[in-house]
Amino acid sequence: MRRRLRFDIWTFVLIAAWVILIALLIWPLSSVLRASLIDNDTGAFSLVHYVQIATIKAYQRAVGNTLLAGFGGMTGALLLGVTLAFVTTRFHIYGRALIQTLAVVALVSPPFIGAYAWIVLFGASGVVRKGLSSVGISIPPLYGAVGVILVFAFKFFPHVFLITSGALASINRSVEEAAESLGVSPMKRLFTITFPLILPAISASALLTFVLSIADFGTPRIIGRDFNVLATEAFNLYGSEVGGNPGMASALSIVLIVLSMIIVFGQRWILRKNVYHSNLIKKPERQHARGFKAVGLHALAYAIVIVGALPAIIVVLFSFRRTSGPVFQPGISLRSYERVVSTVSEPIWNTLIFSSVAVAAIVITGTLIGYLISRRPGIATGTLDALLMVPYVVPGIVMGIAFITRFNEPPLALTGTGLIIIMAVFVRRLPYSARSVAAALKQVGPNLEDAAVSLGYSPGKAFLKVTVPLILPGIMAGALMSFVTAMNELSSSLVLYVGSTITMPVRIYLSVMDGEYGTASALSTILLTMTVIAVYAAFHLSGRKESALL
Amino acid sequence: MADLKIQGLAKSYKDVRVLESIDLHIASGEFFTLLGPSGCGKTTLLRTIAGFQHQDRGEIIVAGERIDHKPAHKRDIGMVFQDYAVFPHLSVADNVAFGLKARALPKAEIAERVAESLKMVRLDGYQDRLPAEMSGGQQQRIGLARAMAIRPTLLLMDEPLSNLDAKLRIELREDIRDIQRRLGITTIYVTHDQEEALAVSDRICVMNKGNVEQIGTPYEIYRKPMRRFAASFVGTMNFLPGQLEGGRLLVGSQVIDYPAQASGPVEVAIRPENVELAAASSRGGVISLKGEVLKVTFLGREAHYTLKTEAGEIVAQVADPAQDFIEMEGRPVEVRLPLQKIVLFRPSGDVLDAERAR
Ligand SMILES: Nc1ncnc2c1ncn2[C@@H]1O[C@H](COP(=O)(O)OP(=O)(O)OP(=O)(O)O)[C@@H](O)[C@H]1O
Ligand SMILES: [Mg+2]
Repeated sequence: MRRRLRFDIWTFVLIAAWVILIALLIWPLSSVLRASLIDNDTGAFSLVHYVQIATIKAYQRAVGNTLLAGFGGMTGALLLGVTLAFVTTRFHIYGRALIQTLAVVALVSPPFIGAYAWIVLFGASGVVRKGLSSVGISIPPLYGAVGVILVFAFKFFPHVFLITSGALASINRSVEEAAESLGVSPMKRLFTITFPLILPAISASALLTFVLSIADFGTPRIIGRDFNVLATEAFNLYGSEVGGNPGMASALSIVLIVLSMIIVFGQRWILRKNVYHSNLIKKPERQHARGFKAVGLHALAYAIVIVGALPAIIVVLFSFRRTSGPVFQPGISLRSYERVVSTVSEPIWNTLIFSSVAVAAIVITGTLIGYLISRRPGIATGTLDALLMVPYVVPGIVMGIAFITRFNEPPLALTGTGLIIIMAVFVRRLPYSARSVAAALKQVGPNLEDAAVSLGYSPGKAFLKVTVPLILPGIMAGALMSFVTAMNELSSSLVLYVGSTITMPVRIYLSVMDGEYGTASALSTILLTMTVIAVYAAFHLSGRKESALL
Repeated sequence: MADLKIQGLAKSYKDVRVLESIDLHIASGEFFTLLGPSGCGKTTLLRTIAGFQHQDRGEIIVAGERIDHKPAHKRDIGMVFQDYAVFPHLSVADNVAFGLKARALPKAEIAERVAESLKMVRLDGYQDRLPAEMSGGQQQRIGLARAMAIRPTLLLMDEPLSNLDAKLRIELREDIRDIQRRLGITTIYVTHDQEEALAVSDRICVMNKGNVEQIGTPYEIYRKPMRRFAASFVGTMNFLPGQLEGGRLLVGSQVIDYPAQASGPVEVAIRPENVELAAASSRGGVISLKGEVLKVTFLGREAHYTLKTEAGEIVAQVADPAQDFIEMEGRPVEVRLPLQKIVLFRPSGDVLDAERAR
């Protein structure tokens, strides 16, 4: 049997995608792998770091804790996110736009301050804890494993919500009705028809929340106390001036990456036979629930998003409080904002410009790659897909260091430029877009594109005219997540910034470190506002308003 | 207008052979129907011709030019999809205009052709609806109008009427046939409705398990089946076991002279309308079997008799049955099979003596 290589636009895209990933991913990260295999003292090849990870207790514990945080965060986020998605797509809920806004707010609750806000509420002297104990209810402070998992669940569930509600809304109604007519009860139908149909979306978001949970270092650092994970260990070893151990940090990063890749292939295995198509002809309808049930559903939906948005709300409230240095005073004031505007407006522009450029590149590249992955299966696209998981799982700080190592000398002397920050954000967030496009495509039958081709459109045009409009919700969701995460990108920028390219998250981090909570809160509020405005602008421009997400 | 030639076409999915080795020659302007059971590879053949997938072997030649290496969108082959493939985000009119826009026709002509095509499929008045607001049969007709509107050199239709009611189906198939003839578009039509195939086709190709069983005019397919499969798939056919021995044919306890060289087991095939019941008289040799009427199905202009004979069960069809014929259940009857009307098949499924098969 003979297979001819058919050279069309997608072959070109495939080659371009590989070039990009080799230049921005494999090449920089190879420096980390190399560092992990070299003895710090002798400079010779050695496996000593890996041996230490396997033998030293602290590191073993870090591996175990990482897995615990990953699976815990994932499970929590899935429970919350799928529930919310289901309730809002299948039932008539008042204020759906508000729910979506709160979910997005939860998603963007800024780094560090978000975790800090949880401490303010539920820490050892947390506001809520104290309040509750004064009425006789005592809850343990939010530290350690439970705290980390809870925070992850409430921080990451919006990802699940956004991805699965898109899938839930586009299941062909006839399929569910068919099940019903076969005598399957609604509850059973949910598990035998609906969930399997949205399995690609559920598993994609499971994967995402897992890797986000295990790569996060801000939350375990602030709330975890002695709950050490690989990311915090690696961060400490990279970051500390004394006692730093770049080789060990690299080895830990590699272990993190490998752990995540195992999960990636697990998800692949679950989905190995999963190619469901429907032509989206009959969209599901929202039911009107009555009485008790309606109240319960509303309570459930609002409880989830309000708790999720709580840190952001706290930050906004605190930004209007009077401060003196690190200490919040009673009373209201705009002092924090005055300070921000007079001293630190540069990060605002940098953040806007960097993330806009990065997201424009991400959306275009991600859509094309997402299409390749789901429509042109093959070895080259399969490995591309697997490779695309790497940026998910590489902690930002590792990516930053890898970039500095590789792009430091002419002709690629990019350190200190805005471009290097954009490139890091681009490669880190590309998977979001590609994955959500691929998930959306799973639900659009390929025959539609064939039909356009038979009517005389080239494959590229058929894609633009037929497929893109149909997967626009998926593209939008991916773009949104990329944008939100790009605006809030801290860890890689922290390594890559210089004075003139400082971004808001970095500024916030530095403010927190300097104990300027007022400035940090004000900056966070501005960042939050900018993000929310961007999200709504995106809805508006796409002409779909809130339905862009649902 | 163009003819289509297919030579040695083969296609597998992974290691499942779906098309074995297909040879077809379809004349310019011909209405050619693929008829075959579900899963025999009809859709696969159409998709390969259209260029959505590439064959493993073989050639596709349109108007003397090989098109295998042309990308699908340059082949100018229209297709009506089995699952409609209607663009859900476009209105009915935009769906139909879609292919016309690719051809950069002037606006006025596009509007005219859209209106004409929609009228043909009885969807005038629905221009501005979205597909989601239409019934399955209506969506199917959008797909039909969309493919016809571009007036392709070759039109492939994959069960375009499967979802319509009987009346509309007959109306539309006549319309499709008229337009096809008027425009002279070479057409391949897929169906598993044999009546539809017989009614509209210039020629029919009976397919089974990725092979061509027989190609012929509707008359040839019905009256002169070359393979047992074609005989049984198209129309109703009775099969009785028989034995050929030295120029004689044995059926049940009956022996009759039959001038054929071959010997060995055969199957005796006859259409129900050719089976005669005692009262009828016929000229020429007949196989005469003793039988009993098991069941009578009265259909108005005809009646079907299920008969138990010494050689096996067969169905006879009697046109315009009289009153007393209907009350025959349980009665003995003489069943006569005129030799001129029977066809013999070898155990391999091939017809025994093509000359004698009528
Ligand atoms: N993508 C695929 N992968 C593997 N096998 C396939 C694929 N598509 C079709 N087949 C198999 O190929 C065979 C022919 O399929 P095809 O769709 O051509 O049948 P068909 O004659 O059009 O049937 P129907 O009348 O039911 O539409 C079937 O046995 C089917 O199971
Ligand atoms: Mg078919």
